[in-house]
Amino acid sequence: MSQLALLKILIADDHFLVRQFVRNTLQESKITNIQTAADGNEAIDLVQKARDVKQPFDIVFLDWNMPTVSGLEVLNYFRTRPEYADTAFVMLTAESEQQNIMKAIKAGATSYIIKPVSPGDLSKKLFEIHEWIKRKRDGNNSAAQA
Amino acid sequence: MEPVEQSLHLDALLAQDISNAVIRAFQTTFSVEITAGPSEIKRGMVSLVGDVSGVIALVQDGLEGTMTLCLTFETVRDILPRIVGNAISVTHEMTTDAVGELTNMIFGQVKTELNGRGYSLKLGIPSVVTGRGHFVSQFHRGPYMILPFYLEGQLFQVHVALYDNKEELAPASH
Repeated sequence: MSQLALLKILIADDHFLVRQFVRNTLQESKITNIQTAADGNEAIDLVQKARDVKQPFDIVFLDWNMPTVSGLEVLNYFRTRPEYADTAFVMLTAESEQQNIMKAIKAGATSYIIKPVSPGDLSKKLFEIHEWIKRKRDGNNSAAQA
Repeated sequence: MEPVEQSLHLDALLAQDISNAVIRAFQTTFSVEITAGPSEIKRGMVSLVGDVSGVIALVQDGLEGTMTLCLTFETVRDILPRIVGNAISVTHEMTTDAVGELTNMIFGQVKTELNGRGYSLKLGIPSVVTGRGHFVSQFHRGPYMILPFYLEGQLFQVHVALYDNKEELAPASH
């Protein structure tokens, strides 16, 4: 089984169409540990509960505009907590204003993907994000051993 | 030097941006081929063929308008199984959800293209209206643009209306 297939992923988007589209694409990469959230509050809840039981998500896909709490607010919430530093938070949104992209990157987004995105491009991004996670965790392990 | 803001018009360039965005959104999401028909500029009553419409407001300095994506239930129900699979029956909620997200993706992309060329366009939050055979009424007498698209022979349309409110505010000449 490839390392990619072992990833645990959350898709937070209020539109089922996007949740299902991303799920289908991930499943083509043999990833099966996938959960979904329909709003920002649910995303925060699921991410925290997963860490509490020591089975954290590796990647969290976040839509920008969601009911209750926006994807940017979810990102800001977790990026102020060091225990989530090696979790990849990826904005997957139709929001394409340059200033908003910069806002998300400054807030600590691992990647920013503008919808619509093809399954092929999403898979390429997934590979890059996986490399980011590996670098982060290798760095953390080296620091712990030093 | 401040960039000069371009004023939006119902023209071939806008039609091309919309066509590109519609084709890309359907191709990337559903892997379906879309054909664009010739756009038309019209006045008077608008008649759109469809049952579910995604509507989004657009605002530019001195300009207001709407962009509408209008499809039949049958068209949406034909393409959704490409995402949800054939084992799940497509519900009314799935149909409105999909059209809302398509509206968001298509017109978000149009905004990106236009703003990249110097238009300072802002979009509202999309709304979805459903009802078999509904039609769109516009409350101004200006022109509008209709763009027809074909998905495996089934027609769907995009409607764009622009209203220059600077013209109304300008003092009458004597």
